[in-house]
Amino acid sequence: MAGMLKRLWNSAPVAAVRAFAAHPLVQRSFVVFTVAVFVYAAWVGLTQAPPDREMGDVQRIMYAHVPMVQMMLLAGTILFVCSVLYLFRASWRTDALAEASAELALVYGAIGTTLGAIWGRPTWGVYWAWDPRLTTVAILLVALAGYLALRRFVDDAERRAVWASVTAIIIAADVPIIYFSVKWWKSLHQVQSNPRTVDPQMVHALRWNITAFFLVFIVFLVVRYRIALAARLREVTVPDAQPRAREAVAS
Amino acid sequence: MNALHTVLAAVGEGRIRGGWEYVKAAYGICWTGLSLYALSLWIRSRRSEDVK
Repeated sequence: MAGMLKRLWNSAPVAAVRAFAAHPLVQRSFVVFTVAVFVYAAWVGLTQAPPDREMGDVQRIMYAHVPMVQMMLLAGTILFVCSVLYLFRASWRTDALAEASAELALVYGAIGTTLGAIWGRPTWGVYWAWDPRLTTVAILLVALAGYLALRRFVDDAERRAVWASVTAIIIAADVPIIYFSVKWWKSLHQVQSNPRTVDPQMVHALRWNITAFFLVFIVFLVVRYRIALAARLREVTVPDAQPRAREAVAS
Repeated sequence: MNALHTVLAAVGEGRIRGGWEYVKAAYGICWTGLSLYALSLWIRSRRSEDVK
C-alpha cells in the first residue's frame, strides 16, 4: 500500500502537478483567488442570504461560525491521522503536519467558539452554557493548548514527536464526541442542519462560506507545515534523517 | 386575527429584531483573528527563511 502510494506520488503526472503547485506565481495566484472567494462569500452571507424566521439577521453569524468549527474538526482529524501514521512509519513530514494541524485546530476552534458565544447571547440569552457541545469543544481547546505546550517543553525531536503523537491520539478522541454530542445529549445547542431543513438561499451562502474558509485553511496549513518542517530539519543533524520513533519510546 | 397578523408580520423579518451589533462583532473578531494569524504565519515564515 505504502509502496503503491509512493509510486503514485513520484509518477510523472503527479510530479508535474506538484511542480506546477510549487511555482511561486501559482501560489500567489491561489492566495489572491482565496481572498476573492472569501470576500464574495462574506458578501453573500451578509447581504444576499435571507434573515432567519426566528433569529432574524443574527443568524448571519452562522456563515462564519459553522465553517470555523468545521475547519477545527477537519484539523483535529488531520492531527489524528498524522499522529497514527507517525507511530507506524516515523517521518518528519507527518510530525510537522501534525503540529501545523494542531495549531490550526486551536486557532479555528477558539475563534469559532467565540463566534458561537456571540451568537448565543441574543438567541440563548447567555454567552456561555455548560452544554455538552460547548463543554466538549472547551475540553478540546484546553487539550490542544496542552499539546502545543508539550511540544515546546521536550527538547529531543524524536521523543517529542512520539509523545506528541500519543497525546494527539488521545485528544482526537474528543473530535467525534464533539460531532455527535448534539445527537447523543439533546440540550441547548441545536443538531446539525442539512439542505432539506434549510432555505436554499441559506444553503447557497453557507456552501460559499465553507468553500472560502476551507481555501483559507489550506493556505494556512501549507504555510504552517513548511515552517514546522523547516524547524524540524534544522533540529536534526542530518537533514534527511528519519526519526526512529520506536527506539525513542524504548529508550 | 390580530394575533395571526402579528405572527405573520414577524415571518421574514425574524422574531429577534435588529442584532446587527452581534453580527458586526462576530465578523470583526473572525476577520481580525484570521488576519492576525495570517500575519503571524508571514512573520514566522520570513524568520524561517532567514535562518536558512
